[in-house]
Amino acid sequence: MIDPALVSALSALMFVIGLGGAFTRKNAIIVLMCIELMLNAANMQFAAAAVHHGDTTGWVYTLFAIAIAASEVAIGLAIFLAVYGQHETISLDDVDVLKN
Amino acid sequence: MASTEVTTTIQSEWLDFAPLIILLPMVAFAVILFLGRVFNGNPFWKNTLKEGGLIALPVMGASLVLSLLLISEFLGGFNPLKVFDPAVADKIAWVNSAVWNGGSTVTPVSFGFGIYVDHVTVMLLFVAAFLCLLINTFSIGYMNTDPINDNRNHRFYAEFVLFCSGMLGMVLSDSFLWLFIFWEIMGLCSYLLIGFYYERPSAASAAKKAFMTTRIGDVFLMIGLVMLWDLFGSLDYAVVFDTHNIEEVAKHSAGTLQWALGLMFIGAVGKSAQFPLHVWLPDAMEGPTPVSALIHAATMVNAGLYLVARMFPFFGAEALQGDLEDLAFIIAAVGGITAVMAAAIAFVQMDLKKVLAYSTMSQLAYIFTGLGCAMYLANTLDWHHDDDAHYIVVVAFGAALFHLFNHAMAKGMLFMASGSVIHEVHHAHHHLHHHDDHGDGHGDDHHDDDFDAQSMENMGGLASKMPITATAMLVGSASIMGLPLIGGFWSKEGIIANAWRVAQDDPRFFLPATCVLLGAAMTGFYMSRMWFKTFAGKPNNEIAAHVGPTNTWIKTPLFILTFVTLSSVIFAGLGFTHWASDNSYELGEKGLLKGLVYELEHAFANSDAFFFILTYVAIFLGAVVGPGLAMALYGGKLAEGEETKPWMRPVIQLSAWVNKRFHFDNSAFAESTLATALENRLYIDEYYDKAMVNIVAGFSNKAAEADSEVIDGTIKAIESGSQSLSSVVRSMTTGSARDYILMVAVGTLAIFMLIWGVA
Repeated sequence: MIDPALVSALSALMFVIGLGGAFTRKNAIIVLMCIELMLNAANMQFAAAAVHHGDTTGWVYTLFAIAIAASEVAIGLAIFLAVYGQHETISLDDVDVLKN
Repeated sequence: MASTEVTTTIQSEWLDFAPLIILLPMVAFAVILFLGRVFNGNPFWKNTLKEGGLIALPVMGASLVLSLLLISEFLGGFNPLKVFDPAVADKIAWVNSAVWNGGSTVTPVSFGFGIYVDHVTVMLLFVAAFLCLLINTFSIGYMNTDPINDNRNHRFYAEFVLFCSGMLGMVLSDSFLWLFIFWEIMGLCSYLLIGFYYERPSAASAAKKAFMTTRIGDVFLMIGLVMLWDLFGSLDYAVVFDTHNIEEVAKHSAGTLQWALGLMFIGAVGKSAQFPLHVWLPDAMEGPTPVSALIHAATMVNAGLYLVARMFPFFGAEALQGDLEDLAFIIAAVGGITAVMAAAIAFVQMDLKKVLAYSTMSQLAYIFTGLGCAMYLANTLDWHHDDDAHYIVVVAFGAALFHLFNHAMAKGMLFMASGSVIHEVHHAHHHLHHHDDHGDGHGDDHHDDDFDAQSMENMGGLASKMPITATAMLVGSASIMGLPLIGGFWSKEGIIANAWRVAQDDPRFFLPATCVLLGAAMTGFYMSRMWFKTFAGKPNNEIAAHVGPTNTWIKTPLFILTFVTLSSVIFAGLGFTHWASDNSYELGEKGLLKGLVYELEHAFANSDAFFFILTYVAIFLGAVVGPGLAMALYGGKLAEGEETKPWMRPVIQLSAWVNKRFHFDNSAFAESTLATALENRLYIDEYYDKAMVNIVAGFSNKAAEADSEVIDGTIKAIESGSQSLSSVVRSMTTGSARDYILMVAVGTLAIFMLIWGVA
């Protein structure tokens, strides 16, 4: 069995990669993928914690998070479509109507 | 300290109806105003009801009938009705309230309305109700025939009846509080009616001036009333005139009482247009002529005199003997100064109504002098026990009241006659100059062109064109001048004689005494000047040559008042002077003929050498010197072929003869600085304006500065501060999703670290 500490480390690495991607990329879809990455990093952390504590609650949280993430992706993509309809782009640098 | 119980009960049939005298016009006010709004432009309303004039007329008639019934009952003796023992109707409780008296208890107070009838009331009630009816009649002939008034006469009649209601209410009410309330109603109506032609800036500012000037007096009146309340615990006549209450007050606060009465007198000065609060009255002539006749000559300006006459019980009280003589002097002195000043200004006025306005001021001043002298006599003589002194006081007070009566009748008539002249000159002008544009809204133009229908420059020789008006004016002028046997003669001689009588006791009174004697000559001059300039000589221009006789609505009241003025000799014979002021005298007690002989003997053959000479000096000044000068300057024959009534013919012929024989050139006087000063009303208005600009406007500017700097400044500082703060906050919203993600990350991290740190 894999050491939960290693899983935690992997999870942290994934989270940082996701965060960095969300900061730096322009394309909204890529940013959404990065957010998914961060969510999965969190899932992984839940799983690792469940193994570590021998408690099934963490598994349950993981399953919930996966279901919610799926619906969140659907909503996110729908928003991108609507934004594209308005601005003919989904580049985050060009969509700044909330400025000031 | 005083009880407010009213115990007098009097059996009277008409006293209970007395409130109707006040209420009927008040209801008519609302009715005319409302109907006027609804029916304007409707021919039935306009022609048959005279835009409300024929609603007002029967109402005033009803008020007069009720007044006459009350008066006749009073004269017929429901008769504990004497000066100091008046009839008081059951009070209608109006306000029940409580006054905190500084301790732990409250004194219950009720302000009720009641009717108070005594000789002064009866006299003024008759004057007010009678003149209201006559001037209402006159108004129908005057207001409804001028197209400029179309569709707004209802406003005139509504305000007119409200005024009548105020005047009658003031006369009948039984406390100083109600007197003050009705006083203010009259002030309001005066303001509204002076500004009747509110589209003219001169009328609007005259209305404001009248309102503000009288308001100055009213503030003092109110303070005086509060002080009186403080002394007596009530403002009801029944309480404040009670001998025991006066004695109680006289023990330790006679000085305060003098101050209270003095402040109330300032209110009277404002209302009756006396120096130094006289500036509003000449400007008030901007109102329609019926208003000038009723409010600014015959009734409202008498309110101040009525207030002073009401103070008589204080002056006459034994307990206060000698305590109020300074105030009596001030009253007489204000009167004397105004009498001469106003008469002098009247010398140079060209406007017919302005001459009459200054004459009103001057004659009211006579009455003030008369009242002041009577008050002085009552306050210094032991008249409760000494029969001779009693007679002197009664005659002095009576002469002032009789002059009030004579002046109101004569001046109401003079103003109506002047209105008649102005009306016809105006129509003649209209007839000659706007012949072809009838019916296309000419109502708007004829008050704007250069022609002044009120200027005596545009009159002359009217005696043959308007005989009734000229006769009325002649009789009225003679009454005001005090020509022997006519109208004001009986009362004016009395006032002059009493002023000199007092001057013998107290040298201070030489000032008012000299003033009223001098004023007699001046009155003779300016009244004659007005009559001759208007009615004698040849017409000054084409317009005056085309003036026609006036209409019946206008003639009727002139006709009636001419006889009333002439019949003043009957009133004198009936002993009006004694009756008006004495609590033991009845009208016509001596019999008419005997009374008349007595009065004549007293006037022309006084046993006291001093008064014998004084009478003839006064008659000489008022009836020879004044009119003689006016004849020499302004007299003249009528134009060729013009005939007038036989009683005016000798007057005109005499004036022509005097003019031929004694005419002199007065251009040196006309160009002198004195004449210029008089034409500018002695610059008093200008000084007031300057004082206003420097004090009031200066204060207003400071107040405006404080408003814009301090109050607005604070609000603006709050506003600009929050704006700059918001722009700082706004700069954080960049609109870039990445920045938001960063903020969320940093924020989360911060919260995490916080929690970690706490744990």
